[in-house]
Amino acid sequence: MIPLRFAARSSQPEPFVMRLNAEVRAYELDRTGLRTEFDGDLVEVAGQRLTYASPRGTLVIDGTTAEEVDGDVVLALPGGRAAQRLIRATSPHNTFLITERCDQLCLMCSQPPKHHHADLLPFFEAAALLAPAGTTIGISGGEPLLYKAALLPMMQRVLTHRPDLGFHVLSNAQHIDEDDLDPLAGMRDRVLWGIPLYAADAATHDRIVGKSGAFLQLMETLPIFARAGASIELRTVIMRENAALLARLASFVIMHLPFINRWALMQLESIGFGRQNWDRLFFDHSTEFTPIADALNIAKARNVEAVLFNFPRCTVPQPYRDRAPSTISDWKRRYLGECSGCQERDICGGFFEWYPEDRGFQRLARI
Amino acid sequence: MNIWPLRFRDLGCGSLLFADDAGGFFKGTEDFLHRYAFDALTDEDQAFLHEGGHTFQRELDLSYLGFAYRWCARQAPRRQLGYVILVPTLRCNLTCSYCQVSRAPEGARGFDWTEDTLDAVLAFIGGLAAPEIKIEFQGGEPLLRLDLLERVRDFCRQRFGKAEFVVCTNLQAVSAEAWDYLAAPDTFISTSLDGDAVTHQRQRTRSTELTNAFFGNLDRAIEQFGSSKVSALPTIDIERPPAVDEIISSFVDRGLRSIYLRPINHQGFARRGRDPDVGLDRWNAWHAAFIEHLIERNFRTGTILEEYYFSQCLKRVLRAGADEHVDLRNPNFFASDYLVIDHDGVLYPTDEARMQSRIGRIDLSVGHVHHGIDTEKVATLNAASCNNFDPDCIHCPYQPFCGSDLVDDISRYGRIDLPKQATWFCRRHTSLFDKVFELLYRRDEATRFSLSRWADLESWPEHLVREHQ
Repeated sequence: MIPLRFAARSSQPEPFVMRLNAEVRAYELDRTGLRTEFDGDLVEVAGQRLTYASPRGTLVIDGTTAEEVDGDVVLALPGGRAAQRLIRATSPHNTFLITERCDQLCLMCSQPPKHHHADLLPFFEAAALLAPAGTTIGISGGEPLLYKAALLPMMQRVLTHRPDLGFHVLSNAQHIDEDDLDPLAGMRDRVLWGIPLYAADAATHDRIVGKSGAFLQLMETLPIFARAGASIELRTVIMRENAALLARLASFVIMHLPFINRWALMQLESIGFGRQNWDRLFFDHSTEFTPIADALNIAKARNVEAVLFNFPRCTVPQPYRDRAPSTISDWKRRYLGECSGCQERDICGGFFEWYPEDRGFQRLARI
Repeated sequence: MNIWPLRFRDLGCGSLLFADDAGGFFKGTEDFLHRYAFDALTDEDQAFLHEGGHTFQRELDLSYLGFAYRWCARQAPRRQLGYVILVPTLRCNLTCSYCQVSRAPEGARGFDWTEDTLDAVLAFIGGLAAPEIKIEFQGGEPLLRLDLLERVRDFCRQRFGKAEFVVCTNLQAVSAEAWDYLAAPDTFISTSLDGDAVTHQRQRTRSTELTNAFFGNLDRAIEQFGSSKVSALPTIDIERPPAVDEIISSFVDRGLRSIYLRPINHQGFARRGRDPDVGLDRWNAWHAAFIEHLIERNFRTGTILEEYYFSQCLKRVLRAGADEHVDLRNPNFFASDYLVIDHDGVLYPTDEARMQSRIGRIDLSVGHVHHGIDTEKVATLNAASCNNFDPDCIHCPYQPFCGSDLVDDISRYGRIDLPKQATWFCRRHTSLFDKVFELLYRRDEATRFSLSRWADLESWPEHLVREHQ
């Protein structure tokens, strides 16, 4: 797994953001005059121990190389004993975890909510402004819009200062109201909202997300996104709870949500509640693909783009494989023994790091 | 609960098709119609209508916006001019029985672009805002002026990020230089193949020698460039149509999987001495039988052949945005995304408009390449290019899927205000959409196999089309 945190020693007890620059990058910042107060230059290398110095402090990082982290933006954590990688310069998968609080309690939540909340927004804002050109930054949680009063203006500021950036926000969309129309509209081409919907009926959706009234609330907030012209990625994790209802959901989507940018049908992730409830929830599409095929075909017939997220390509019947792009983030992706020698490994997202091989897909085979 | 207005049409056997303005549809019963008309809908009726997107509770709620979006998506006209049909010469080396273009003899003078016209054409194309361009060379026989084709292509390749060229040629006389020209990866061939050799000879080539020359060139083109670079269109005389099997084998044997059956257009030579609507019923029946033949054949062989226009109609029923065919769009705005430049530099909105003007029936030209597009005239034409508010179309459940073709109305009847049900365009498309819906609600495997592939689906999903008692 790619590490997202390093052991470190900071000269400051307070947290601070630093962009890590090896020699060439540091020279380039001086040459172009683009150096910021957050830029830390590599001043010493001793094996896998790197020392960076910036106006805000000095940071010693253990267990990596200067090439590996060049251009990364890290947060020196409170206490000064570790550094969190907020932006990995070479990765397309950078996500800010805004909070661990959530008002829903989904059966398969990969990141079960916690009550404790630490406000890191100012650090995220600084990191976003230092991100490499053209990056799309993930915003996740918990439920990030619990803090929308600070989050939406932060996103607006970043997008104004950095016209090359975009955000991909994962939100349950429970906390949007009429007053948010303008900010949503102002960001509409730059922000993709990943919003979950698990069934076309309130009872099933509410049971899955662990909150009564959640479906009806979505029916109130989705029109606000639509009126703002917001970009929407509708997300449906497929489980035994809702697999049989997929075709009905597809019919609902094409008629009532035709304005979405795409509909992502997602496989379960075996971590958090997803691991605890795996045996009860996991729907093995490798042996029963019909409900998914029906949903894909209903959507395609009506011009709604539907894609498969977290579906290893060999588990998908050949005609549908092109709908299964590589979606598992690099830092939590792995390949199995079966994958060696597979012709499609390079375009396949593989498996989650925590995929349970003994209780997973029955049909796996190299292509 | 508010219900968006439903139109309906008898499908036979006590069933009716219901459709709303956004193209949402379902099959229902006489009983349902009665309940709908007399405001006696049951809870089940209301739940069914709500699920299908035919209702809303209040303005701007989710159902309302879903409907509004689907309605808008079906209207969206294309606005950027990026497809230009050029007629560098009107001269032709064939005299087809139905010639649509008011052709000129091969040796005639004064029917080619002058140097001055060429310059103006290049300046006009060069001034377009589109990032990509598609050029279709029509005629006459464009290969008679390969030099002009070369210069247009050279210019467009330099001027645009992406450029594609289609040469509409009779493939009768192809010089070595012409073969080189056609070999380019950005250049495609469109030709006529009127079913079988006998019909092709009767309608087009007139002699065995010319027939053999054509088929030799067609086969060489497909062998050399692949079937994806060559399209062949049969023009069918419904008085003497070739045998269906003959048409199919002419295409399949050459690796061509898409057949676009075109009835003889009511233009040019084809006008003379014919009632405008002659053969329509026969055409509709023959075309429907052809579709059934394809369904049976596809299922038997496990391979897919399509009739291009029928697939277009099917896609338009299922979804918004299937606007590729310029005869089947609504609104069908003129000179908005494509345009014809004639041999004398005159601009026309369509090829058919050019022919109508040439025979002197009506001047449908919309400007000249030297002076640009006459926007006032285009606006006048556009005012009648929309079926949404036509007093007949507003009652028709097929309106959201159908198009409008005022040039065809002018061509046949000399006017555009006939009751739509009395026009060839309406009667032909009503028949086509009747067939589409007949098949959509048919439940056999063979039909579903063809329908799914024609609609670009991997298989036919349950619940795609809805029914209510």
